[in-house]
Amino acid sequence: MPVFIKMSVSITFVRPFTRVLVPFTLNRKRRVLYSTILPRYMSSKIPAVSCPNKESTSPPKQLELDGWKITMKSSVQESVSTVSSTKDEDPVAATRELIEMWRLLGREVPEHISEEELKTIMECASKSSKKKYLKYLYVKEKMKKAKQIKKEIKAAAKEKAKKDQLLETTKEDKQQDFMFLRLWDRNMDIAMGWRGAQAMQFGQPLVFDMAYDNCMKPQELQSTVSQLLESEGWNRRDVDPFHIYFCNLKIDGPFYRELIKRYGEKWNKLLLTATEKSHIDLFPKDSIIYLTADSPNVMTTFKHDKIYIVGSFVDKNLQPGASLAKAKRLNLATECLPLDKYLQWDAGTKNLTLDQMIRILLCLKNTGSWEEALKFVPKRKHTGYLEISQYSQEFVNRVKKLKTFNSFPKGSLNIRTQKK
Amino acid sequence: MMTFCFTGIRSFPKLWKSNPYLGLSPGHPYIFLFLKDCYGIRSQQKWFSLKTASPQNTKAMNLLVARARSLQKGDEGRNKQVSSESHLFAAGAAKKRSQMNPQSRDHALLPVRNNIIQLPTKPLNSEEWDKLKEDFKGKANFENWIISQMAHHNSPIDVAKSLLAWVAIKNNGIVSYNLLVKYLYLCVFHKQTSEVFDVYEIMKARYKSLESGANTLLIRGLIHSDRWKEALLLLEDIKKAMIPSKKNYNDCIQGALLHQDVNIAWNLYQELLSHDIIPMMETLKAFFDFGKDIKDDQYSNKLLDILLYLRNNQLYPGESFAHSIKTWFESIPEEQWKGKFTTIQKSGQCSCCGKNIESIHLSPEEYEFLKGKVMRDVIDGGDQYRKTTPQELKRFQNFVKNCPPFDIVIDGLNVAKMFPKARESQVLERVVSQLAKQNLRVLVLGRKHMLTSRARWRKDEMEKVQKQASCFFADNISEDDPFLLYATLHSGNHCKFITKDLMRDHKACLADAKTQRLFFKWQQGHQLAIINKFPGSKLTFQHILSYDTVVQTTGDSWHIPYDEDLVERYSYEVPTKWLCLQRKT
Repeated sequence: MPVFIKMSVSITFVRPFTRVLVPFTLNRKRRVLYSTILPRYMSSKIPAVSCPNKESTSPPKQLELDGWKITMKSSVQESVSTVSSTKDEDPVAATRELIEMWRLLGREVPEHISEEELKTIMECASKSSKKKYLKYLYVKEKMKKAKQIKKEIKAAAKEKAKKDQLLETTKEDKQQDFMFLRLWDRNMDIAMGWRGAQAMQFGQPLVFDMAYDNCMKPQELQSTVSQLLESEGWNRRDVDPFHIYFCNLKIDGPFYRELIKRYGEKWNKLLLTATEKSHIDLFPKDSIIYLTADSPNVMTTFKHDKIYIVGSFVDKNLQPGASLAKAKRLNLATECLPLDKYLQWDAGTKNLTLDQMIRILLCLKNTGSWEEALKFVPKRKHTGYLEISQYSQEFVNRVKKLKTFNSFPKGSLNIRTQKK
Repeated sequence: MMTFCFTGIRSFPKLWKSNPYLGLSPGHPYIFLFLKDCYGIRSQQKWFSLKTASPQNTKAMNLLVARARSLQKGDEGRNKQVSSESHLFAAGAAKKRSQMNPQSRDHALLPVRNNIIQLPTKPLNSEEWDKLKEDFKGKANFENWIISQMAHHNSPIDVAKSLLAWVAIKNNGIVSYNLLVKYLYLCVFHKQTSEVFDVYEIMKARYKSLESGANTLLIRGLIHSDRWKEALLLLEDIKKAMIPSKKNYNDCIQGALLHQDVNIAWNLYQELLSHDIIPMMETLKAFFDFGKDIKDDQYSNKLLDILLYLRNNQLYPGESFAHSIKTWFESIPEEQWKGKFTTIQKSGQCSCCGKNIESIHLSPEEYEFLKGKVMRDVIDGGDQYRKTTPQELKRFQNFVKNCPPFDIVIDGLNVAKMFPKARESQVLERVVSQLAKQNLRVLVLGRKHMLTSRARWRKDEMEKVQKQASCFFADNISEDDPFLLYATLHSGNHCKFITKDLMRDHKACLADAKTQRLFFKWQQGHQLAIINKFPGSKLTFQHILSYDTVVQTTGDSWHIPYDEDLVERYSYEVPTKWLCLQRKT
């Protein structure tokens, strides 16, 4: 069956080019046949010309202008006879044809399309959703192709380098002293595993609330899972990782299936807690803080004894207040990042991606500095950091002075003041 | 035409200077004129390159000239119109409001794009094309680029044909599909029917099926010829893969009417409606235009059905369509209709015949339906925590139940923040006391933070407000607008609400278009917007509509609102001009 599908694809793909491949000489022969038709076209042409004076000055040019039509028409006859056998009524085939013609027109549609994708297209409710999906496939195909080309180039370069090296290594085959075998990646993995196990025991919990699976479309759900994967990766690499909880994760729900699909067999060895239970069952209610951009309360400091909750929710559909409603329902404290306080906001929503969120939280946890942490907010969304207000500047200075008094010996302080 | 535009521009700065109250003056005809002029110039540029192109464009030129002329004429009329006279939802009101805002004045001048290569105006031979290709420096494929430019500027088809001939010579007689379609576009644009036939033959022969773009063009090209029935086949082709567009249907219906095949036209119209597509006004107009020559009861009934369709979907015909409707009615021989273009007085009487227009108030069933929907979709919305909390909702419902019906419900925050320089609580107190003096039962909706005493919310003033009116304060993170809507609806038909908010987001929460239209109708009849410029002055409201702007009939009269060509109407506004049709008895 798959072989058959492939074949049909290739046929539709090749078809438009068959005419190019058909030798031109054939047409020459046919021209004799068509010479009888030619006068008819000519005669039909004359009244249609828009500028009468042009026609009178250059009648031979006119002849030349229409010449292409005859070859266009004559080259056809063959191609029609070869294709006409395909069934006509099938809407799937019609859609395939339509997409093929769109491609000829230079629209953004993919070159190859699988039966499954075609079915998705047919199921799209509106014309614009069809176009959107086609564009998505087009971009995907393009990326894949570019990647393939890059890969080939790389492979060729590697091959070449290998050859060069072979020539070189024959010259010197000296033994060298090394302290370590080259097992960096594995060692890193093991070390991260240790840290992760430690975090599982003593780490601060960070909860991802997975209760939004019914608010999202498949596309959004997929990007949420991608972001979760990335967040988990950032957490793993950190010096002092969080103990991650996936709460409200329904077994065999869409989230669960997608996660299993992405992680593969690694899913069971992940150093995090995935549970069907809700976060309010696991933790005391008063230590929970739900992070949401809609919250009226602004987060001032990162508290090490609180449990922060991040909603795993990519909202492209603009449902404002979904997570705030969740927090209100359970009567939880909410906070939002102090983006406006520190950044000159420019464009885009205040909703950050999950991986940005976890990197900000990790940074806060380790350093406690907002300036440092908010570096992970995408640059395109803001124009720069805001000046810290006069008052807080003074406050900071005072604190710094105090510190210098305590930590520096008297002499060095004198030098500093003299410099001033 | 040209001179008009330039003198318009030259005289403009003078006008600007001579009018010191530009930011506040009511009419703003000058800014309006300026914007329009620029537009004129821009399109003028476009027409320049066309001038040599084809004789058909004279029609377009005439249209532009006529447009500019009527613009001048309409100007004087518009001068007299005072903005406070038109209601909140009058066509063009939003545009005026935005022009009041001085910031939005700047983006009047837009850069004019230049072409890199001069498009050829007459057919070139191969060498000339070769040379032109060498001159072309761009990323895109030269042939594609140049034919796109030609299509954009509507070059004469001879030029395009010479391009195709040149491409064909270079490419073994093959012209790519893309070029063919663009060429077809030019043929259709210049109405070169025989050329369309030729391209059609070529396409039919070369490609088993066509895509929607080419089909659309072919349909448009074929309907004027005697091969128009083939356009219907093409329509069938489109249907195989997707639903045809309203333009496709429009073309086919026009074609059928052009060839006197009324049945096909009506069938296509039915099909169009069955796909839930809203037909183009041109389509409907075509039926009316064609109806002039037909004396057939069945046909007339169908036209009346179209008018009812307009009524049910709250659609408004354009100016030329209104003319078509008028001519059709006047052409019915035995019935002796008389049509006039008119406006409706504030009282809801037609200025022409004196009849009363339908009231804006909803029928009791509609009212109940809307009330339920607002409660369910806007306030509750499947998750009561989104906009409020169940506890608060209960508190509110009890509050409303225990109070006698109100006359006026005030959006406290919206009213209080009307004047940025005045203190919020003071403004609110003034408004409430002025209303209370008229013995109106007032409800003020607000949020709890208004009660905490601060510089902008003084406690004594808030206490005065609470003495003069009933108040309900929602939580600070709850939305107050849904409560406002429900309180007003609950109080009954006489109750009005005060806010400047156009409530578009709440309208959007309603599930279907029909409910949204009901909501909009109710809103037009019940929303009061304060138009005071200064905090101290006496309260004046934007005048409220007492009549419903919708196509309507009493059997021997029709009143049809229509859109003027030169007024830009936003979706939440209604037309102000009417067509009044009377039957002589």
